[in-house]
Amino acid sequence: MKKKFLIALAGNANVGKSVIFNYLTGLHQHIGNWPGKTVERAEGTLQFKGYAIDIVDLPGIYSLSAYSLEELVSRKYIAVERPDLVINVVDASVLERNLFFTLQLMELETPMVIALNQIDVAKGKGIQTDIDKLEKLLGISIIPTIATKGIGIHKLLEKALETIEIGSIKKQGQFKYGEEVEEKIGMLFKKLKNVQFLYPSRYTAIKLLEGDEDIEREVGRVSPQIISVAKKLARKIASLQGIGCSTVITSERYEVAGCIARATQELVPPINPTLGERLHNFTTHKITGYLMLAFSLLTIFFSIFTFGDFISDLLTTSLYGLEPVFASLFGTEIVGTIIWGGIMEGLIAGVTIVLPYIIPFYIILYFLENSGYLSRIAFLMDNVMHKIGLHGKAFIPIMLGFGCNVPACLGCRIMETQRERLLAAFVTTLVPCAATTVIILGLVGRFLGIQWALTLYLFNLLIIFAVGRLAFRVVPGESTALIMEMHDYKWPHTKTVLKQTWFRVVEFIKIAFPLIIVGSFALKVAEISGVLYALADVLSPVTVLWLGLPAITGITLVFGVLRKELSLVMLGALLGTTNFALVLTPVQMVVFTLVTMLYIPCIATISALVKDFGWKKALFITVFEITFAVLVGGIAFRLLTLFV
Amino acid sequence: MALTTLKNGETGKVISIKSERGRGRIFEKRLLDMGLTPGTLVKVVKSVPFHGPMEIHVRGSRLALGRGMAERIFVEKKEK
Repeated sequence: MKKKFLIALAGNANVGKSVIFNYLTGLHQHIGNWPGKTVERAEGTLQFKGYAIDIVDLPGIYSLSAYSLEELVSRKYIAVERPDLVINVVDASVLERNLFFTLQLMELETPMVIALNQIDVAKGKGIQTDIDKLEKLLGISIIPTIATKGIGIHKLLEKALETIEIGSIKKQGQFKYGEEVEEKIGMLFKKLKNVQFLYPSRYTAIKLLEGDEDIEREVGRVSPQIISVAKKLARKIASLQGIGCSTVITSERYEVAGCIARATQELVPPINPTLGERLHNFTTHKITGYLMLAFSLLTIFFSIFTFGDFISDLLTTSLYGLEPVFASLFGTEIVGTIIWGGIMEGLIAGVTIVLPYIIPFYIILYFLENSGYLSRIAFLMDNVMHKIGLHGKAFIPIMLGFGCNVPACLGCRIMETQRERLLAAFVTTLVPCAATTVIILGLVGRFLGIQWALTLYLFNLLIIFAVGRLAFRVVPGESTALIMEMHDYKWPHTKTVLKQTWFRVVEFIKIAFPLIIVGSFALKVAEISGVLYALADVLSPVTVLWLGLPAITGITLVFGVLRKELSLVMLGALLGTTNFALVLTPVQMVVFTLVTMLYIPCIATISALVKDFGWKKALFITVFEITFAVLVGGIAFRLLTLFV
Repeated sequence: MALTTLKNGETGKVISIKSERGRGRIFEKRLLDMGLTPGTLVKVVKSVPFHGPMEIHVRGSRLALGRGMAERIFVEKKEK
C-alpha cells in the first residue's frame, strides 16, 4: 500500500504559492469551494517516491485572526484537518511581514517546512539572507526556492517528506512574548489544559487574550468561565501598557518577526531604482497612472472584441455547417427542429462565447493579476469606488462586468467580507456586459447616433452609483477600507496563468452551459407550441401600456434573460426587419435598450449569484433589477415623449 | 497628528489607531496585522488626488491604504 500524506500550502498573498502548487500537482488538481463558503479551495495530488500526497493550497493571507473568511477557513483547516505538514511559502523580499504569519503558524503547533521563495527578487533588491541562521532561530527547515523557474521545488518536497517521516515537531522553536503577556498566557494555559478543544492550548490562550470572537464563541460553549478570566487578564495587560491587549500581542509578535528578519538579512539597496520600481512609479502616478489605466483597459477590451468577433464568426459559420447533417439525421419535423434549434444552437452559442471571448479574457486577467498590475488598478480607483461604499478592489469585478457578468460575479470573491462580496456582485450585475453593449450600439448607436448610445452608457453608470450607494446604506454591517500590499512587479509564470485560466473556464462552462442549453431548448419548445406569442399578450400590460413598446418586444425581453447576445437578432426576426427605424420610434428604441441594460443580465449570471450567495439573495437581486428596469423604462418613456 | 498630514517622502512613527466604540475594530485589527503597530515607522510615498488612498512603506513592504483608514492612524513626525 502506498503511504498517503496531506500537505497544506500556506502563506501571504502573492508570494508564489500558486506557482509552487502548480509545480507540485501539475494537472492533477481540482478547484472547489470550502463547504458553505465563498472561499476557493484548490486541491491536487502528487506521486513522489512511492508516496501519494494530497496537497491543499490555502488562501493567501496575512494573519490567522478572524478578519476575513479566508483567515478563518485556513486556521480551522490546519486545526481540524491536521495536515501532516504545512509548507509555509515565504517571500524573501518581504521577510518581516511574512515571518509574522510564520510565527502564527508555529503557534498552531503544526509540523512545518519553509519555502523561502523569490530569493532572486530579494537579491535584485539588494537583500541577502543567512538561511542557516534563520533555520536556527525558527527551528524550522528552510529550502530556498525560485518557484517561477522551478528551482528548489524538488528539494522542498524531499525535505517535506523527511520532516513528516521524522514525525516530530519538538525541535520546532516556540517564540516568547514579553514577560507580562507570557505570565497571563501561562495562567490561561493551565486552565485550558484540561479542556478538550480544537486548537492547541497555548494558541487558544493567546487568541482569548486577543479577544478573538470566533475562539471566544467556541470556548464559551465548553467553559464560559474561562472567557471571563481571559477578559480580566486582557484588561490587566491593557491597563499596564496603556493600549489594547490585542495591540500589545500583535506588536510583540511583529517585534519578534522584525528581530529575526534584521538578524538574518542584510540590505544593500541598489544605487539605481530597479525596473520594477520605475514601472510602479509610472503606473501609480497621478497622471501617467490614469493614462496607462485608460490605455490598458481600452486596448484589452478592443483587442478581445476584435479577436473574439473574428473567431466567433469563424466558429459560428463552421458549426452551422452541421445543420444539414442534423436535418438528415433527425428530419426537419418537430423533433429535428427541437434538437437542432433547442439543443445544438444552445451549445453553439456557448462555444462561440467561451472560446473566443472568455478564454482570452481570463488569460489577460490572470496575467495582470500575477504581474501585480491589478493591485495598482485597485489603488488608483479606490476613491471612485468609495463613492458607492466599496473600496478599490471592487473595481476589478466591475471592470470584468463590462466583458461578462458571470466571471465578474465570481470575481467578487476578492472582497474581504461577505457583505462586500454581495454589494460588489449586486453592482456588477448592473454593469452592461458585452452582449448588452451589442444592443446599445446595434440599436440606439446605429439608428439614433453614437451620442445617444454614450448617453445611455453614462446614464447606466449614474444608476450604478445611485443604486450602489443605496444598497451600501441598506445592507447592514461594517464596511472595510482598502488595505492591500502592492508587491513588486514581476513577469507572470505562464503555466500558472494558463492553469488558472483553464480552471476558470471549466467553472464557467459548468455554470453557464447547462442553462444556456436548457434555455434554448425551452425557448424553442415555447416558440413551436405558440406559448411564446401568448407570452407577448400576457406581458402586454407592461410592455405596451407602461413601456410604450410593441407587444412583440415582450418576447425579446424574456428571451434576453436566456440569451442576451441574440436579443437584437430575435427582435429583428419578430419585427420582420433589421431596419429598426421603420418599426420602432426613437423613444421606443431608447426605452427598450434601457430596460435591457438594467434588468437581470442573464440566467448564467443568476446561476453564478446562486452559487456564491444562495437562492434567496440571487432571487432578490433578480426581482429587484427586473422591477427597477421596468420602472425606469416606464418613467423614461413618459419623460421622453414629453420632450421629443 | 494624523498620518494624512504627512507630506510625500516624510516618515512618521505610529502612536495609536483611533477606533470608535464598537465600530472600526476590524479595521484596527487589520492594520495591526499588516504591521502598523505602535512604534512602527511609516513612510508616506504618495497619495492619489481627490481623497484617494496613500502609498506607504512599512516594514520593508509597500502598502496601499484607504484615506479613511489613514486618517485614523496617529503618528509622530520623524525629523530627518
